Amino acid sequence: MINTLILQAPAETTRYMIAGYSVIFGVMFLYIVSLIVRSRKLKQELETLKELEQENK
Amino acid sequence: MEPKPRMLAILDVVTTLLFLTAVGMVFFYAPLEAIMGQVQRVFYFHVANAWVGMLGFMVAAIAGIAYLRKNDRKWDIVGLAAIEISFVFFLTAIISGSIWARGSWGTWWTWDPRLTTAAICELVYAAYFMLRQGIEDPDRRARFGAVYAILSFISVPLTFISIRIFRTIHPVIFGGAAASGSSFEMSPKMLQTFMFSLLTFSIIFIDLLWHRIRLGKLADETEALRLKTLQ
Amino acid sequence: MESLPQAEDKLGTNGSTLGVGQFIRSVTAIIWKDLAAELRSRELLSAMLVFALLVILIFNFALELDAATRSSVTAGVLWVTFAFAGTLGLNRSMAMEKDRGCLDGLLLAPVDRTAIYFGKAIGNLIFMLIVEAIVLPVYSVLYSVNLFNPGLLLVILLGSIGYVAVGTLLSSMAIQTRTRDVLLPVLLFPLIIPVLIAAVKGSTGFLQGVDVADIRPWINLLLVYDVIFIAVAFMVFDYIVEE
Repeated sequence: MINTLILQAPAETTRYMIAGYSVIFGVMFLYIVSLIVRSRKLKQELETLKELEQENK
Repeated sequence: MEPKPRMLAILDVVTTLLFLTAVGMVFFYAPLEAIMGQVQRVFYFHVANAWVGMLGFMVAAIAGIAYLRKNDRKWDIVGLAAIEISFVFFLTAIISGSIWARGSWGTWWTWDPRLTTAAICELVYAAYFMLRQGIEDPDRRARFGAVYAILSFISVPLTFISIRIFRTIHPVIFGGAAASGSSFEMSPKMLQTFMFSLLTFSIIFIDLLWHRIRLGKLADETEALRLKTLQ
Repeated sequence: MESLPQAEDKLGTNGSTLGVGQFIRSVTAIIWKDLAAELRSRELLSAMLVFALLVILIFNFALELDAATRSSVTAGVLWVTFAFAGTLGLNRSMAMEKDRGCLDGLLLAPVDRTAIYFGKAIGNLIFMLIVEAIVLPVYSVLYSVNLFNPGLLLVILLGSIGYVAVGTLLSSMAIQTRTRDVLLPVLLFPLIIPVLIAAVKGSTGFLQGVDVADIRPWINLLLVYDVIFIAVAFMVFDYIVEE
């Protein structure tokens, strides 16, 4: 009778949760970084091009 | 690129706060699921990511229609931004979904309609980028991108339905519970965490979209100047 | 200065039937052009046919097509074959337009743009149906499967229509890119998944003698797909070919 009263404990899946969230946070972080990096590179290029344009005038 | 507008700066702050709150809710507020254990917590952000992916696709399709009718450059920038973000979010959804499946049912992949449709969307995006890559003329690139975004967006519900019907008549042999999809009871606290996650990610989407659009405009400006000076 | 009735006759205009009559004439002219060209050279059909038969042959070695599994696998094999041969056909059909400058000529002519789409699409459909009409008996003979099943033929027709409707649209885009031929399958296959699933399940259903009521959802799906995408093509084709 006691057997039927003992509930099964939830599965031990913490490492999968950690893996899952590493991916979620990781990908989001990488994407935001890529946005920032691309933005910087373009701004730099724009500056350089503007200088070139000034020289050409 | 114009300086960051005040609204965007505020939105950045709001987004970050919402995100931190959501994370807190997922780890501390939501209860532990009785059968799957900790891995179930992945569910909240996994679905939120997929939801944003779908949202992005819809925005891209609408932007496509707008571009075809108005012929205004900015709609092309919006479309590309939406697809890029959607690509990233669907990717996260697929990988996290796979990890969740592995943790809950011991199988890395379930051919369930939602996950499979998300994977197909990723392939569509890959095709979209390849299509744009192969076109020099910016107007044609924008036009074709718009057309493909519209066509592919229309095909997605049909794809989903066809896989759904396929699955109900043709259940997957292994992975019993996995085959029937995510089936666990959601207590009120879980539901709240779930809804809040959806809300948070929707705001994240808008925030990122805005930033990506600004990046797109910057790229356009640079490209124009590049063509002009390097004649 | 011609009198108005004479001028109208020349243009084939006729009051309210102007649009439709002219449209049908243009479409028929384009179909005829493609058929006539193909009749002379036969390069398109032979390429598609040889390819399809080779694929069927390869499947014989790749899959265990013994009597038991045959009925469940036949539809899949057939549709994979049609999908790949179809890509060949779509590519060549559009490439011929572009390379011979026909496309530009058509665009300059006072022809409704959508008529060009329908003309090409129906032409592509005819070629695909011809290939299917030859592949089916060959498969039937090689694997002793009776494929002369009206339900099966209906599914193949509906599936081919959906395939060609989207395929013609996409090939007219792909042909204008740098990567051309290679791009079409990449663009096309994700979009026709509903067609492939419905067609394979529908075909299998008819082959295995499943109750028609169970096959209904698949046929409906094919019909819905066909109608939706033909309608969308109507609205979108102009933007693909504008200069």
